[in-house]
Amino acid sequence: MATMEIRSASKNYGTIRVLDDINLEIGDGEFIVLVGPSGCGKSTLLRMIAGLEEITGGEIRIDDKVMNALPPKARDIAMVFQSYALYPHMSVADNMSYSLRLRKTDKPTIAEKVRAASSKLGLDALLERKPKALSGGQRQRVAMGRAIVRQPKAFLFDEPLSNLDARLREQMRAEIRKLHRELGATSIYVTHDQVEAMTLADRIVAMHGGHIQQVGTPLDLYDRPANLFVAGFIGSPGMNFLKGNIADRQLHLHDGRSVALPETMPATMGDATLGIRPEHVVLSPAGSDGLEAAVELVEPTGHGIILHLTLAGEVFKVLTHDRVWLEPGPTVCVSFPEEALHLFNAEGVRV
Amino acid sequence: MTATPIPATYRRPLRQRLAVTLEPWLYCAPVLILITAVMLVPLILGISYAFRDIQLLNPFSGGFVGLEHFKTLGQDDAFLRALRNTLWWTGASVFFQLAFGLILALLLNVPFAGRGLAQSLVFLPWAVPTFLAGLNWAWLFNPVIGPIPHWLFALGLMDEPSNILADPSIAMWGPILAATWWGIPFFAITLLAALQSIPKDLYEAASIDGASPIQRFFSITLPYLAPVIAITVLLRTVWVANFADLIIVMTNGGPADRTQTVASYIFTQAFKRLDFGYASAVALVLLALLLAYSMVILVFRQKLSNRDK
Repeated sequence: MATMEIRSASKNYGTIRVLDDINLEIGDGEFIVLVGPSGCGKSTLLRMIAGLEEITGGEIRIDDKVMNALPPKARDIAMVFQSYALYPHMSVADNMSYSLRLRKTDKPTIAEKVRAASSKLGLDALLERKPKALSGGQRQRVAMGRAIVRQPKAFLFDEPLSNLDARLREQMRAEIRKLHRELGATSIYVTHDQVEAMTLADRIVAMHGGHIQQVGTPLDLYDRPANLFVAGFIGSPGMNFLKGNIADRQLHLHDGRSVALPETMPATMGDATLGIRPEHVVLSPAGSDGLEAAVELVEPTGHGIILHLTLAGEVFKVLTHDRVWLEPGPTVCVSFPEEALHLFNAEGVRV
Repeated sequence: MTATPIPATYRRPLRQRLAVTLEPWLYCAPVLILITAVMLVPLILGISYAFRDIQLLNPFSGGFVGLEHFKTLGQDDAFLRALRNTLWWTGASVFFQLAFGLILALLLNVPFAGRGLAQSLVFLPWAVPTFLAGLNWAWLFNPVIGPIPHWLFALGLMDEPSNILADPSIAMWGPILAATWWGIPFFAITLLAALQSIPKDLYEAASIDGASPIQRFFSITLPYLAPVIAITVLLRTVWVANFADLIIVMTNGGPADRTQTVASYIFTQAFKRLDFGYASAVALVLLALLLAYSMVILVFRQKLSNRDK
């Protein structure tokens, strides 16, 4: 178990800077999720922690020891790969015990540790099989088994669930969470799936364009996104944005209509973006109070209904659980509870 | 399909039935005729020579002699020596080709500036005609015009700059060296292709698991390459065992038959002594040996891949 510290770390590929000034402290036993769209540098950061990529600038410390120059094996970390990276010619048991055999651990200890890991992951019946005789979910479990047998200081997960189907992903997500609770090991988990991030993380690190955008608990990011990127990235369907300028404590939209702002927000500000999550929008029939919007599409998802509207020329989504909106008519009115509004300035930073 | 129901008692006329039976054969005929003409006929003719007395210099030869050639063969010391030499020549050539080919493939698999150029240059020996390669090496070993004996002498490995191709005790090393030089690219090409198909994250996983580069080689690279190595070694062994060009050009089987392999012995019998019957008999024995060898390797490989399942 370990603490980790990343100090103004950066990474260049040639002259291209892919990570810039990354600072992050990770507590003992914490489950951190790095989330962001592809190309945001999250995997690169993970691989730098693992020692698979060189660190261009800054420092990475594990338990207060600088790791920059150490090879992967000296860092005492374990990693689960997206492709699982199981050794194809070794049986499940051999895959799991490989690191222990390299360390010349004695046979009874190896057998015991493999047995403990395999029973924890439900792999007992598969120990003699080769990876190619396993299903995707089973391979995923073996990859995790390989990580836990040697009780490393930290676990690194590189999009471990992206090759699984939706149902299995849901199941493995819960298992990873349970496993973390049992082992209590410091974990860093990379994903582009914000649902995985929300459900797994103690703290989420949202990344975009090689920079950390926000660090916080899942609900922090959901309730108080630091900027437009995080606001749009966390949550599904994504947050709605209304662009305009603020005067007289009102947001004047480009089509001439306006939205009243609560007392807590500035009275004048110039260009700004107002954000509201689809699930917080209040719907009412056409002709009532609020902004009128044209209905483009009705998407029933079973547990709710997503209305695709057009408001001030932009797509505007509303999530409702009331089935009367299955046939909403050509237009509806939307209004916004004050406490659900998010305001961002012209630079996209939360106000 | 639209089929009109046919009453059970109805039988088509004979000509129609015949046409239906022959139809598939008609479609296959072009290929069958081609295979028979270009493969089976020469093969059977060649095999038949082994049981006939065919000497170009003897106009009365050509008669059937049964197993006579094979009886002679059993007592032919030159043949037995050629058989031993073949084992030695094939084993050493394939071993060195594999060893150096693998090293070369591993080196070429590491990214470095100018790798593309190096890769194409490395494959150059493969493009040299064997006849030319043989002559070239023969000259390199010749103390009058070649540098190698002088280098060996300067290094103290030789008492005087002499031609190793003329020394019965070490003459075989000449053609083996030439064959190794000529055959390395073949192994390098196939092994490099196999190396490039190994997923990179396996090595990353192994390095995190704590494997050193050597341990990674033995636990990932080698198991991955094993099937490719097995099949290329099989192919190369058959090829090298049948490969007489270099020996004929460099030593002609000499000195004192010390570099005579079965393949070069067949060549000598057929085209120097013009005894085609006897040469065919020797060739038939070589064919049988190589077939048996291939069977063993294939069964072995089958077992290996079954174990993986």
